[in-house]
Order: sequence, then structure tokens, then C-alpha cells
Amino acid sequence: MLNDITFGQYYESRSPIHRTDPRVKIVLTFILIVFIFLSNNIYALIFSALSVLAVLLVSRVPLKMYLKNMKAILPILIFTAVINLFYSSKGTVLLSFWKISITTAGVYRAVFTSLRIILLILISSVLTYTTTPNDLTDAIESLCSPLKYIGLKSAVHTLAMMMTIALRFIPTLIEEAEKIMNAQKARGADIESGNLIERVKALVPILIPLLMSSVRRAYELAEAMECRCYNGGEGKTRMKRMKLSVIDLRMSIYSAILCAGIILLNVLI
Amino acid sequence: MTILEVKGLTHTYSESSAAVTDAVNDVSFGIEKGEIIGIIGHTGSGKSTLVQHLNGLLKPTAGTVLFKDEDIWKNPKEIRKIRSKVGLVFQYPEYQLFEETVYADIAFGPKNMGVSGDELDGRVREICNIIGIKDEYLEKSPFDLSGGEKRRVAIAGVMAMKPEVIVFDEPTAGLDPRGREDVMNIIKNYREASDATVIIISHSMEDMAALADKILVMNKGKLELFDTVENVFSQGERLRAMGLNVPIVTRIFAELIRRGINLPENVFTVEAAVEALKKLKEEDGNA
Repeated sequence: MLNDITFGQYYESRSPIHRTDPRVKIVLTFILIVFIFLSNNIYALIFSALSVLAVLLVSRVPLKMYLKNMKAILPILIFTAVINLFYSSKGTVLLSFWKISITTAGVYRAVFTSLRIILLILISSVLTYTTTPNDLTDAIESLCSPLKYIGLKSAVHTLAMMMTIALRFIPTLIEEAEKIMNAQKARGADIESGNLIERVKALVPILIPLLMSSVRRAYELAEAMECRCYNGGEGKTRMKRMKLSVIDLRMSIYSAILCAGIILLNVLI
Repeated sequence: MTILEVKGLTHTYSESSAAVTDAVNDVSFGIEKGEIIGIIGHTGSGKSTLVQHLNGLLKPTAGTVLFKDEDIWKNPKEIRKIRSKVGLVFQYPEYQLFEETVYADIAFGPKNMGVSGDELDGRVREICNIIGIKDEYLEKSPFDLSGGEKRRVAIAGVMAMKPEVIVFDEPTAGLDPRGREDVMNIIKNYREASDATVIIISHSMEDMAALADKILVMNKGKLELFDTVENVFSQGERLRAMGLNVPIVTRIFAELIRRGINLPENVFTVEAAVEALKKLKEEDGNA
């Protein structure tokens, strides 16, 4: 049952997007999200949609994986679409009952907003599918480094270290939880049936040992880090240094072209 | 009477992944009631996977597990019942303790089986008696005990279910010599008190030789040997090829025999070695 939980969302491949510097990827993703929201007519939005589709294809991650993400946000999507459907009173009335009427403007709005959300999710999935969780935290640390000029240097490093450690221990904790579950099952614990309250109660024999071992692990890790003279980020160097390369420049240029296209379509039509 | 029978057992982990290897591959054997079986094998040979099938924690990919001639998976909804008949003590069982008191933790297993009231109390006290947990410990928190004491309590928690077959997965791992001896004595005491069938996974050939009736050797997911202690430990070469070995005394005796000293080959325990050396001394005295 715990095997179904994927660790991060990284999908191994060697596409140009995978090879782009994670810092560049984060910045470009943010910029593209902003521009998708700036698309204020249907032509600009269709152009954005085609651009996002191109990015998906270039990422060499199976489209099936992206669809899986879509499924998770389906309820939000339907909710937004329905709300927007009744929101507008302009345009020709298509359907009317009691005090509520659906107009062409409402339908347009519903489609427009849903499409925006879909594009938003897709473009952020590209980031998580093509970047390992560790690269992401490193990139966040690097991007936050200007904060050191306002006296937050150690805070940035500490936060990044915490994220890295948390990510590192997810598989370990899953394994541990599985072992404890099996041990309690062997003692006749029933964790698969019963009503909600019974099931929550049945979690106690699993959660307490898991908590105990997490605390133990934390102490052990802290000791091991101190033994290796870890003293925060001061003077620390990296084994893998992030360096900008030609591919990052190319990706930035492509993104700039997409953004320019969106602005042009916004202004001209 | 055959209490447990395994027929053509195969287990494959995550069939969807590309690297499919059978953790356990076509294993068959039968265990008689009251026997003590030792399971030995190199790390990753499938020992732990094998024993998790015996109480239905894992479902075989192929093959069957019979408890008293009945397929334990005949009715999958009833699988929990087999867990009180075949007890399984995991590696490092002290990490499964969770209750507020030692008493409550030992009572957890029998309670899950539906035992309550005086019978529950009787069982907990009986098991504490057998394995030597003193009364004053019962109201302590299990987290305040030492490592060896925690392990004792965790083992008691499984024994209190009174299983007819009890399986130990490396029960002495991580303990000091005193702790190891304690655990081996607990197992002996429990067996004498209950005549349960015992299965032990261990890396200690000495413990196996001292305790087991028969030894089951696993190698790369396959059953390599299943025979008496004598027949298994007389195949030193074959065991070494699998990353295993024979007990140290057996190795010492083999070397002494090679150097021309007249000693028996089938010596597997220190006690037997002492006897053999005494006999040799007497013969020398007579000559």
C-alpha cells in the first residue's frame, strides 16, 4: 500500500529541459506562469496552450504522467468552471431557470479560466518532473542567496538543509513504517478493516514506534554531522556546482519568444 | 505430524518494475510438529521473505503454504487468524513497542485475538514467568528499559499469543554475548513450556548447531539444503561457496584432523568438542 507513494515526481530522462540549470528552470517557470495569466484574449491563450504543449513534448516525459496530475485537480477545475458559468450576466442568454441564467459570456469565462488553471498545473508539473528534489532545494538555496545581504544567510542555508534532510528521509521512513506495520500485523493488529474511528485508533501502534525511531534517527544524524565538523553553511563548498551553460541561454531565449508572442497577441487583437 | 508445509513457493517483488528477480523461487519443504528448524543463508538470500509467508504477511506469487494441511490463503478474509497460530518475531522487535506499560504491550497480541479478563492477565504473567520478566517491570514504560530488556518484552509480546509455530528473524542481532545467551535461553524455556515448533533465522552457526534439529539453507532465493545439523555442517565446501560457513569448532577440528590428530569430524558444538578431546586424552593415557 505504501509502495504507491511516489518519491517526489522526478522522471528520469535526458531531454534539454532536464539538462537546464534548475535555477533557470524555476525562474522561467515563474515567468511563464505570469504570462499565461496575462493572456487576456482567447488567441493569446491558445498561443500559450500551444507553447505549453510544445514544452511538454520537449520534456520527453510521457503525456500520461501529466494527465495523472490533471486527474488530481479535476474537482477544483469543475468547481471553478461551474462558479464562472453563473458569474457573468453579459452576452446572449443561452439557458435560464428561476433567477439564474447561463450566458455566452459565462461559458466563455468558464472555458477561459479552466484552461488557464490547466496550463498553470501543466507548466509547474514540467518543473517537478524534470528536476530532482535535491536539485530543487539546491536551486532554491542559490536563488535565495541575495538574502544574505540583509542578514539572513544562515537562515537560508538552514532552511535548505532541512528540506534536503526531509527529502532524504522520506524513503527511509516509508521503509520503517512498512516494517512496523508488518510487526504489528504479526501481533494480530487489524489495520485494514473497521470504521473510521477504529482505523484511526489502529494507527497508534504504528505511529508511536515511528515517532520514536524518527527522534532516534534525528539524534544520530545530528551526532554524525557534528562528528564531521558540520557547522552550518559558513565556508561550505559543493561537490556538484551549478553552472550556467549554453542550453540555459537557449531556454531563456525560447521563453522570451513565447512571452513576446503572448504580448503581441494581447496588444494586436 | 506435519504442521507447516510449503509447496512450490515463489515470491516476486513489484512485478511491474524492470528488474524482476524472484526473492523466493520454487521453495518446498515440510516441518514436523515440535521440531526446531534453523534457517541460514547469505544476506539477501530470501530468508526474511520466506518466513513472512508462513504467517500470511506476504501472499505467494505462486505456490501454497499449508498449516495443518490447510491452505492459509483458502479464505483471504480470515488471514488474520493464522497470525495467532504462527507467531513471527521480526528483526529488532524492540522497535515495535508502543504501549504505556510493559504489561499493556505484552497484552496487545492476545487482546487482538479476543482474549480478555482473567485469561489475558494469566497469559501475560505466565509468559513473564517463563522468560524472566520480573513483576516490578510490568508497570514500567517499555521505553525506559535497556536494549536487551526491550527485546525480551517484544519477544514476550509474540509468545503471549501462544502460537503453535514461532518464527524468530535474527533474534540475537545487535546484542552483546550476555544478551545473546539470554535470548537463546528464552527460546529454549518457551519451547520446553509449550512444545511449540520453532523456526530461527540466524547468522550464528554456533547457535544453530547448539539448538536446531534441522537446518534449512537458502541461497539466492532457492532452497539449497534441508537436512539434519550433521548432514548440513559436513558440507563445509558447499556452505563456503554460498558465503556461509561451519561452526568454529568444526573448522578447528578439521584442521587438527588434517594435521594427523585422531578426532571425529562430526563435532559442531563446544560441548561435543570437549567430550571428543577428553576421549582423546584418555586414549593417549591408555596407550
